[in-house]
Amino acid sequence: MITTSNLSKKYNEATVLHIENLDIPKGQSFGLVGNNGAGKTTYFSLLLDLIQPTTGHIKNNDVLVHESEDWKPFTSSFIDESFLIGYLTAEEYFYFIGELRGQNKADVDALVSQFSDFFHGEILNQKKYLRDLSKGNQKKAGIVAALIGNPEVIILDEPFANLDPTTQIRLKSIIKDLAEKQGVTVLISSHDLLHVTDVCERIVVLEKGEIVKDLATSTETLKELEAHFAGSELV
Amino acid sequence: MIKQFIRLEWKQFFRASYFQKGIAIKILLVLAALYFGGAALMLGVGLFFIAKKAFPDIDPIVTVNNFIIYWFLFEMVFRFFMQQLPVMNVKPLMTIPIKRNTVIHYLLGKTSISFFNFLAIFLFLPFCVVLLVKGYAIVNVLCWFLSIVFLTLSVNYLNFLINKNNTIFYIIAISLFALIGLEYYGIFAISQPIGIAFNTLYNQPYLMILPLLLVVGLYYANFVYIRKGFYLDDAVSKKIKEVNATDLSWMDRFGNVAPFLKNDVKLIWRNARPKQVMMMSFMFLFYGLIFYTQDAYKDMPAFLAFASMFVTGGFLMSFGQLVPSWDSEYYKLLMSQNIPYRQYLESKWYLMVFAVSISFVLSIPYLYFGWKIFGMIAAGAIFNVGLNSFITLFGGALNRVPIELNVKAKAFSNTNGFNPTQMLIAMPKILLPIILFYIPYKLISFEAGLIAIALSGVLGIVFKNQIFKFIEKTYQKGKYKTIAAFAEKS
Repeated sequence: MITTSNLSKKYNEATVLHIENLDIPKGQSFGLVGNNGAGKTTYFSLLLDLIQPTTGHIKNNDVLVHESEDWKPFTSSFIDESFLIGYLTAEEYFYFIGELRGQNKADVDALVSQFSDFFHGEILNQKKYLRDLSKGNQKKAGIVAALIGNPEVIILDEPFANLDPTTQIRLKSIIKDLAEKQGVTVLISSHDLLHVTDVCERIVVLEKGEIVKDLATSTETLKELEAHFAGSELV
Repeated sequence: MIKQFIRLEWKQFFRASYFQKGIAIKILLVLAALYFGGAALMLGVGLFFIAKKAFPDIDPIVTVNNFIIYWFLFEMVFRFFMQQLPVMNVKPLMTIPIKRNTVIHYLLGKTSISFFNFLAIFLFLPFCVVLLVKGYAIVNVLCWFLSIVFLTLSVNYLNFLINKNNTIFYIIAISLFALIGLEYYGIFAISQPIGIAFNTLYNQPYLMILPLLLVVGLYYANFVYIRKGFYLDDAVSKKIKEVNATDLSWMDRFGNVAPFLKNDVKLIWRNARPKQVMMMSFMFLFYGLIFYTQDAYKDMPAFLAFASMFVTGGFLMSFGQLVPSWDSEYYKLLMSQNIPYRQYLESKWYLMVFAVSISFVLSIPYLYFGWKIFGMIAAGAIFNVGLNSFITLFGGALNRVPIELNVKAKAFSNTNGFNPTQMLIAMPKILLPIILFYIPYKLISFEAGLIAIALSGVLGIVFKNQIFKFIEKTYQKGKYKTIAAFAEKS
């Protein structure tokens, strides 16, 4: 589904990301972990053509991301709050995204209604603009909006951060369900090793812009990751 | 402590990401300040002699005292529109051990070194020097000068209160209008007792205590006001207004661009800055009145052509020139969503066309000035729709200044969304209608000039597709730069 070759991003000689080769097959739930500045958000930004690669390219379903816009109809994402339109209510925002993705109001309503327990009664019918919601609630709205319109690729940056424990657990089951039952390719990044190992079939560790580990998740993965990060901390 | 604050401000000023980009504006502002300061200085020196010449029988100081209220009035209005309120990022200061009072005193103290206060000093200090040279009593002159300084500071703090508190604003505005009205219709001349008051102030130096008390009182009022609001609940976290959602589904008939149009309507309606721009553009409707009513412009139809373009083009220019900036807060979303640039731009174009059409309907009363004038407005409207709109959109591609949507712009203070590129782009918008009109007008006739303007607009509409393709390409080229610039919050 997503192939990355010889990709690098430099800011004034400083290389922030360098990935020789990375293939993410369709329907995989893919986790990206790494310390601050490891290049997680840079990779996602490149994937969404928000920044320009210095070398190499990413192909999303055989579409060259930085040359064509054809990847947009089947890709959706939530990176940070700048993906929200602050002066809309959550409903209006969902409908807006729905309209962009060719869904009518009823479609959007049907999808959103599945997440009523995820929202915990704090998102819908609040008569509040998104900019007035708390950070956690903003995130919930953004994540659900990324699920509108049956995307084949979903990219979520730090989806667990800022969420309360109940919602974190619910989000995990949502993400698992997407990849397992619906064949959606889900890419997430996280600092929370436990959550990532719970959710993702495959975990890639980035360090200073390079891939240092590429693991198929098993029972030992969490331990291995913990050992890795504890070690790199000591050095 | 104060030293630390000053250091913080210094860093804030020089490390702001927009600093370098805004340097041209800063230079302009400094030049403007120098100009006004210099003008005040000259006026201050000349004031004595001007007063003497105008009223030879009256002591110049009496004349000045009689009219000084108008100075303060002017200053108040000038400040209301121009002066930036002191802002300090209080949130990080709340949790560290600094006395709340220190912060407030610092904030208020900071305002006393504002340029606006020096304006009065620039004006009245030389005047007082002249008075002393002319042999007026030192004590009287000195105390009078100090009184003026105190009153200026009072205006300073009053302005602060007016800006922060709507009730005070309305009370002051209404009483001012009432007094000016009474004076204008000769019912009651408030300026006379005020003149007498200022003269008494001059003659009885000890009365200087009154303006001093006024400053202290207003300072204290400000202090209490800020102190009361110095909690996270009020000052930092915003008030949450309940949303009144309106049904805009009737706009769906616009097809592809409908979602964007609906969004733009909400954008304008729900955010302070675009709302302000819309109000401003409404004022442009009256722009013609300045030109059409003056005989001087009757023989310069080229200028009238320019003015007529403004009548219907207010919204187009003030909103349109900031086109991608309006969406700067969520530009990444738009760029990664399923949106072709073309649709996005087209929806902005429709919005501008819509605004021009409304302005055109509203400008029908200009028929009062005759068909020629109205013809110009009509031609101007077609020019706006067909050509000006595209030039404006194209200019937007070069504009990469983020806008904070829900923060009102104050003249000079919130310069985001304004840069020299904008000014360059504005030139063809202003010059084009003049040239388009002037050449055929000189060579053929007035009507030919009108037709030329209108024709340029029609041509633009005919080649809409090609023009859009070109503009789209320009936007596409600048995409990464625009995203990066918008991500930098000023």
